[in-house]
Amino acid sequence: METSRSSAPRLLIANRGEIAVRIIRACRDLGISPVAVYSEADRGALHVRLADYAVAIGPPPARESYLVPDRILAAARTTGATLVHPGFGFLSENADFARRVEEAGLTWVGPASASIAAMGSKTESRQRMIAAGVPVVPGMTTPAETAEEIAAFGRANGFPLLLKAAAGGGGKGMRVVRGETEVAEAFLRTRSEAKSYFADERVYAELLVEGARHVEVQILGDATGRVIALGERECSLQRRHQKVLEECPSAAVSEELRARMEAVAVAAGKAVNYVSAGTVEFLLAKDGRFFFLEMNTRIQVEHPVTEMVYGVDLVVEMIRIAQGEPMSVTKKPELRGHAIQCRIYAEDPAHGFAPSPGRIRRLRRPQGPGIRVDSGVEDGDVVPLDYDPMVAKFIAWGRDRDEAFRRMRRALSEARVEGIETSIPFFLSLLEDPDVVANRVSTQFLDDWKYEPRRPPEDVVAASVVAAALGSMEGAKKRRPGAAPAGGETGPSAWRNARASFGARE
Amino acid sequence: MKFQVRMPGEREGRTVVVTAGAPAFEATLENAVLTGDALEVRDGVWSLVGRDGRQIEVSVAFQKDGSVRASAEGALFGFELLDELTARALLTTGGRAAKRVRHVAAAMPGRVLRILVGAGDRVIQGQPILVLEAMKMENEVKSPRDGVVASVESAAGQAVSQGDVLLRFEAGGE
Repeated sequence: METSRSSAPRLLIANRGEIAVRIIRACRDLGISPVAVYSEADRGALHVRLADYAVAIGPPPARESYLVPDRILAAARTTGATLVHPGFGFLSENADFARRVEEAGLTWVGPASASIAAMGSKTESRQRMIAAGVPVVPGMTTPAETAEEIAAFGRANGFPLLLKAAAGGGGKGMRVVRGETEVAEAFLRTRSEAKSYFADERVYAELLVEGARHVEVQILGDATGRVIALGERECSLQRRHQKVLEECPSAAVSEELRARMEAVAVAAGKAVNYVSAGTVEFLLAKDGRFFFLEMNTRIQVEHPVTEMVYGVDLVVEMIRIAQGEPMSVTKKPELRGHAIQCRIYAEDPAHGFAPSPGRIRRLRRPQGPGIRVDSGVEDGDVVPLDYDPMVAKFIAWGRDRDEAFRRMRRALSEARVEGIETSIPFFLSLLEDPDVVANRVSTQFLDDWKYEPRRPPEDVVAASVVAAALGSMEGAKKRRPGAAPAGGETGPSAWRNARASFGARE
Repeated sequence: MKFQVRMPGEREGRTVVVTAGAPAFEATLENAVLTGDALEVRDGVWSLVGRDGRQIEVSVAFQKDGSVRASAEGALFGFELLDELTARALLTTGGRAAKRVRHVAAAMPGRVLRILVGAGDRVIQGQPILVLEAMKMENEVKSPRDGVVASVESAAGQAVSQGDVLLRFEAGGE
């Protein structure tokens, strides 16, 4: 084993958590040896334990670890890695970092740094797309230096506007501005988020097309110059501009519209000589017109729904293509069935989706027909406070949309996560909403949607009350007088007093 | 063993009497008698099988504030459960509800980005008072009440733990 491992090419994953684990799996399928990097907060993380090699790259804050190109390049040198996969977020769309990887003689698993640079600046990519004949939403052609420039654009074109990080993506660093009075604070906050997340504080504004859907097309290009499209994903359900649920295909897209969107996406890819997996995002207006939003020059969080429906391993294809091989997809695969994905976040839907980091005391993963779980954690792991709260992705495939939805509800009900709060109850309610079931949604849908926890049936409530009462009696029985209460809770609590009084009497 | 249970949104508590503990439990909830087999599979995870064969898996966690958080069959809910003595004691002292909000504490660990108010400022309920960054998101912390800020106990850039006091209100001022 040691001989085969040391002779296998090594791929460094410049990322953490779920996507790092996903890339490790692709490496294993290809016989490539995975190299992990980790911050001090991630020493015990699953992506480290699944890797063949692991290198510490600094303190917990991302800007001192996962966002430091020098540390990642040094880790590649130390371990003899020849390939670097950036995953998503962090440095994945940082053209300077990609160029430095190329200049160090390493292989960047993604498009050429020049393509990233061309598409990475939202304003530059818009101009490129306009030149390639791709329809775009009206917006500023250069980043705003001051809040006043944003306000002036709004006065000239009307509100509401969408303020975006010029180097952004993945829904981070975006904010709706409804009127001129909101410009100053929104500008400040978007810049500060853009700086902390992308190390680039430039922001720009564009018109907000209200009532539109977010529909994106997956593309794949290789060094032979071939670019193909693998259908679209429906990603309209977003909270704070973060996608929460994605589907493939979109129930709002006809075969004819799909063909047109795919053709435009392929043209967009060819305009920047695109090599690797990428995504062309569109706004789909109510009247069927669609506009280019941005192109993501990396693997996306929601890539599994495309994989399930088209039967293509996109991460494996990315690595093969980076190594100079042609894509293994010789003829375009047929669309088969329907897939949906729920992003499971460590956050508390009952308390305004507040982050809920901590130790996962218990994790039951859903399993069974049609279910795929991509996760970066297991039982007993700690979800650190320092990073994005996504801990897992549940993906359900069915022969049609209805079957995929039924399987997802089954998966969400089967799952158990104790120790941290998660968005699972939110999804259980969301998937029962008649408008979601009927696909009557837009990117604003969740802004107005109020989370109501599902009401448990009376017998479930009664069983829970009985279990709690029995549990408190057991807890008191186990405890000798003066011992700490079971569960290790601290601080004054009426509940604790209640249990202590049982102990005294028994 | 006798308990008082209060569901959220309900004023009146319900009485639960457990006459036999696990595994062969018998309990009376209001007028309904519940019997069956209860197994604590692991800490806080219970499987209850009723006499009619109905099986329900329940996870219960006792919270610091004295409430119980339960999850079962895809539902997540909370309730208060107190033994009778404690319930009676709370009744005579006016209960926890009478407590006044005297400060704002961090609901989650994070970093204070900006403070939007200062000592002496009059604030209204729901007004943003500071911005806390956690998990790469900026979260506006809003005032839980009307009042006058007595002191700001945190500074921009400061890392805070869950429960740290961020700001205090002056007594009264509502």
